[in-house]
Amino acid sequence: MRSSVSVILSSPAPDTRMSHPDYDQIAQDHASILILVHHHQEGLLKSKSFIKVWDKIRRVNHTKVTDSAGVTRQVYVKYVKEYPVESNDWGDFQTHRRLLGLITVGQYESQIDLNEICRVHESLKVRYTSTLYDSRCILFGVEDDQLKTPSNFKSLPLWYTDVDSCTDLESQVSELLNSLFWVLESKRQERSREKLDRVPLLLAPFERKDIVGLDLESRTNRKKCTGRMIKHLGDLSLQAGVPHEALQHYILAIDNLRSVNDWLWLGGASEGLCAASVVVLYPGRWRTFPIQRNASLPPSPGKRRPGSIGPSSLPPGSLTPAPIAVEDAAKALSPEGILRRYQEAIQNYAKYQSAGLIETEACFKAAQIAIQQGCPLQAASFLKNVVLINLTLTEQEKIQRFLSLSELYTQMGFHRKASLCRRLAATRHVSDQNRQPDWTQCYNLMLQALDGHRLSLDPTERTSGGAAEGWPALQIHLLQQLVVAARRMGHSALATRHMTFLLQTMWHFLNPTEQRDLAKQLQKLAAECEGAPVPLVLDTRAVIPPANLTNIPKAKNFRLQDLPLHLRPQKLEKIKEDIGPFLYTPISFGSLDRKSTKSQGKMDYLWVEGDMCEVLLDVYNPLPFELKVSNMRLLASDVVFESIPSSIVLPPDSGPNSIVLAGVPKEVGDLEIQGYSTHTLGVKSNCQLRHMPHMPQPSFSVEVVPALPRMEVSLPVQKSNLQVPHADASASITSVSKSLYAGESDECQVTIINSGTQPIEMLEITAQCVLDPSQLRQVLQWSADNIQAQLPLPPGASASFTLYLHGCAEFIAPPRNDLIDGGSQPSSLLSGPSSLPSRLSSLTSSAPSRYPHHNGLSSGSFRSQISSRSGSSVGSSRLHSKVYDPSAPKVIDCQLKLRYSGGPGLEAGYCRVTSVSLSLEILPSILITSWDVLPAETSSQFYLVLDVTNKTLGELELHYADGKVMLFEGNEECRIAVPVERCPLSKLSKLYQNIELSDIEKAELDIICSDHIASLVDLKWVLPVSSRSGKASLRGLSLTADMLDIVRMSPLQWEVLLNKEVAKPLSELTCVVGQCMQLGVTVQNFLDWPLNNVALALKFFQEYQSGVRNYRLDSQLAVAGASNVLLAQLDDQGSVYHECNVVFFMPGLYKIDIQCSSQARPVSVVPSGDVGNSLPAHTWKLIPPIEITVTDP
Amino acid sequence: MYRIWSSTNMAVCIAVIGKENSPKYVSCLNSDNELQFHYKVHTALDVVEEKLSLAGKSNNDVRELYLGLLHSTEEHKIFGYVTNTKIKFIVIVEATNTTLRDNEVRQMFRRLHAAYTDVVCNPFYIPGDHIVSKKFESVVKSIMSGNP
Repeated sequence: MRSSVSVILSSPAPDTRMSHPDYDQIAQDHASILILVHHHQEGLLKSKSFIKVWDKIRRVNHTKVTDSAGVTRQVYVKYVKEYPVESNDWGDFQTHRRLLGLITVGQYESQIDLNEICRVHESLKVRYTSTLYDSRCILFGVEDDQLKTPSNFKSLPLWYTDVDSCTDLESQVSELLNSLFWVLESKRQERSREKLDRVPLLLAPFERKDIVGLDLESRTNRKKCTGRMIKHLGDLSLQAGVPHEALQHYILAIDNLRSVNDWLWLGGASEGLCAASVVVLYPGRWRTFPIQRNASLPPSPGKRRPGSIGPSSLPPGSLTPAPIAVEDAAKALSPEGILRRYQEAIQNYAKYQSAGLIETEACFKAAQIAIQQGCPLQAASFLKNVVLINLTLTEQEKIQRFLSLSELYTQMGFHRKASLCRRLAATRHVSDQNRQPDWTQCYNLMLQALDGHRLSLDPTERTSGGAAEGWPALQIHLLQQLVVAARRMGHSALATRHMTFLLQTMWHFLNPTEQRDLAKQLQKLAAECEGAPVPLVLDTRAVIPPANLTNIPKAKNFRLQDLPLHLRPQKLEKIKEDIGPFLYTPISFGSLDRKSTKSQGKMDYLWVEGDMCEVLLDVYNPLPFELKVSNMRLLASDVVFESIPSSIVLPPDSGPNSIVLAGVPKEVGDLEIQGYSTHTLGVKSNCQLRHMPHMPQPSFSVEVVPALPRMEVSLPVQKSNLQVPHADASASITSVSKSLYAGESDECQVTIINSGTQPIEMLEITAQCVLDPSQLRQVLQWSADNIQAQLPLPPGASASFTLYLHGCAEFIAPPRNDLIDGGSQPSSLLSGPSSLPSRLSSLTSSAPSRYPHHNGLSSGSFRSQISSRSGSSVGSSRLHSKVYDPSAPKVIDCQLKLRYSGGPGLEAGYCRVTSVSLSLEILPSILITSWDVLPAETSSQFYLVLDVTNKTLGELELHYADGKVMLFEGNEECRIAVPVERCPLSKLSKLYQNIELSDIEKAELDIICSDHIASLVDLKWVLPVSSRSGKASLRGLSLTADMLDIVRMSPLQWEVLLNKEVAKPLSELTCVVGQCMQLGVTVQNFLDWPLNNVALALKFFQEYQSGVRNYRLDSQLAVAGASNVLLAQLDDQGSVYHECNVVFFMPGLYKIDIQCSSQARPVSVVPSGDVGNSLPAHTWKLIPPIEITVTDP
Repeated sequence: MYRIWSSTNMAVCIAVIGKENSPKYVSCLNSDNELQFHYKVHTALDVVEEKLSLAGKSNNDVRELYLGLLHSTEEHKIFGYVTNTKIKFIVIVEATNTTLRDNEVRQMFRRLHAAYTDVVCNPFYIPGDHIVSKKFESVVKSIMSGNP
């Protein structure tokens, strides 16, 4: 519609169109006098100096003039640095477009310079001659009388030596302003006195052609002339500082012009009315000094960004009408009215294609006012069609228009719109129409457009802010344009950076194809200039923060690794923590505060200075092509850390690929691992954990302790019985397994090598095992002194020590299962020698005389108490030993821990522990399945009868007594009898203090006796095939009470005389039936105290094949003399002699059981009342009993 | 696609924008210049925000959800609608479609709002996520094509 109207009303007039819109215009400019300040550029005045002068001039923004009527008027001025003549042509339409004053600023050194300045000044005067009222020429230079302005120079020169000394410049400018005002005022007066019906038709530049053929004298035209002139008067009045008059003129003019449909001028009058209203309503809103107006650096006074200066950049919405006089208020428009009227004016302008500039400027002015009134929506409606106004503009001017728009949009808080304008301005810089593409400008504008898209170039802000921000599709588009601009600008580093940023931050919004394409592009860009994680500083001083690729490759499960077990440092002395009486308790004793202060990410293990440490992570390649990642290393801080770079090639779309990043801490302290760095697609990235989502911790911290030595332990491969030690390379824990036969001993040489850089100054060896320490000592032994003597061990040196291994095992078999029930029976029910057979059943054939004698209860009753007690203790020991089977191979697993330290680590109290695991298999060699004791021929000895089984598979030689050897086949059982000295009383004397023995004492007696046996019996075995040998120990042999009687020396010594001859034990004694035999018995007390109430009994009995004893021999023999004698006391070391005669009636084998029982302790010790039968008796027997073979005469 | 430029089209672009002004759903009749519409919708948000802040000042309990015409260019008219939970609906219609009445635009928004409510009622939809729903898609298509 607009175009159609404009076509009708006006034809394009290219020569008169003006194409230099001033987007910075404000409504107040309608009331200002325009002065051009020209900088004589070719001269010597530097820009900097000119700016100073410019600022000084601009400080004079208004002057107060008292007019002829005595009213003070405010006259405002607007300075421009350049002004197109075409704009001047519009001076009739709007008088504020006329250039009224000229100031030329130049510096001279010579006459030539001076002449040049004057020439330029004069030529400028000529250019603006149609409107110019007055001019000044400011000249800087040394005062020299010889230098003179040329004759044709007709302006007023102002001489100054230099820029800083022009103190009266401001007053001079003020004076110029004054003079301009008076000229203007005179013109106004002149115009106002003109008769309104005689006035000429004022024309806008493009209208000049159209007047041809118009009826100038028509009534309509007359009215048009009048209306236009009144409007013109209004303009002049406004400029001359009488806005109230101007208002009247405008209102009148509007009436006139509306009636004749003079749309363009009607628009002008409306706009003038608005301008006048603004001046009246908002006094004091003029341009003030300084105004920072730089198109490329927009002030940022948005609605949401307070704190700015200058009238046009005052916070929007701050505009409040000043209190004005009532009569003025009637004429001036209301704030809303101004906007309405502007809208009207713009609509009128829009009807003329050639008035595009006026329309555009009006839009901007209206928008400014709307913004300041706080009506951004109104402002937006003024601005929305500015771009569509048909103006023939150069690309530069279009850019300028976009930038001005952007600035206004920013002011009203329309950041998205502002960004769009900036982006459009940027594209204009490099559009096809632009003959001088400027990629740098384009790039800078693009950069400014980022804000409105909620984009910050710092990737870290994005990750923290969340991905919901902004509009990803547009952000991606903008970033891509930014990359192109940066590349075309020739700044490949920047292009790489932006592409990296794009990939990093927009990764999740890109589809796989885009991801691949962009990654490929990045690779191409990075080939030109490698991306590095350092901020880039542009020429505009903008800083582009680094962008790091954390998505390519994507890392997960970042975890620090403890050192390998054998290299872990440990505290030399562990601080005993008070953990209370419980193994586990949810209450932390004393560690409550420690837990709370423990920083997150602090590792609970230690790393060692100078030792390789590792971090594991899983990496994923999200791209559909092979990804090469090189120079991947750890990022650490706080402690000097040497990262060891590693390179990986990730297959397409793969993951997780587990990789190890390693490094060596070079200092002691708390090491902080912050992330890792990569080099992929040509971009170096520092991937900080704290900027990566999905990472559990922002950093990991681990304590580094001083350097410690490293030690390697090696065990030589020895004989065949030592199986090859399989050393686990990663754990470096040496393990040895070895098999020994029970009783065998072996040695093992352990070599330690210091493979580190620190000397080993401390080495402790301990063994850990399920066995208790005393048992372990039997199995494993080494010389600690030998080890200590070899320390310290310098780096690279080695030392060795010997481990002594012994196949320690039980050789005594537990009782067989089928006999357990009977095991306790004989000792409890039976007494005397008859207790043996149950366990030594096979002995019956060799010793038939020891058959149990169930009828012999009479003799057993004497000692039933003791035997039952000892029997019960034996029984319990059997039950205990039943738990394990010594004949089965036994495996002892133990760990030899070598704690070592040295160097600074030792000073800091740390050590390392290397373990050697030792697996010792103990195979059975021989086993004693049963045993018994037999009296020997001499009373000082007895026979230990053993049933020995060869548990090996091969032949075995058993050396058991002096020179006695027995050869066994595998699994063969043999019986051997070993002569053993009886246990002397000296070992037992303590135990005879009391006749009555407590359980403990009995057990002690048992132990003493069995130890006695163990120490005397020396069983050696040899395997002839493998020539391996060992020793069997009889430790743990349990003895019954009966056995004990045999094993230990009797406290009473017996001497039996037959027919005055000493009867030796086990000697053959014969006698003839009917012959009287004299039997004499001497009993000697070897105890240290006398025995009271000693009853000596001689009992004859016969033993049958069945083992039954027959004591009832009345019909077979007769005894002359007492067979039972009661002695009141047997003195210590004293002896008694008893004699009787025996006559045998029948031939046969007779035995004499000679026994002695004592009833009480010494009388002196025991209170008299207690003496008597109540005390238990102890019985001693002559062992073996005397045997007499009676033959027929 | 054959009716892209036919006059029966009610709308050429429909967008749902989240509370934080990031897009949750954008659908255009013509996917060729989709980015163009993205920019239009994006800049229209400036006006939406401004209108909302004005409405916030007036402190009315019941705010009119329909914002009316946000912006008009020679080619398109952009209308806006904001739910009480600050979810924005933007509809772009062609400027040539002069027969379109205000009531019809309101009707479009009401249907869109109802469809959006259905989406949010889905217990598997997390508010703030992109809208991926066949049903919603079909409603949007029918709004754009003008079929009831």
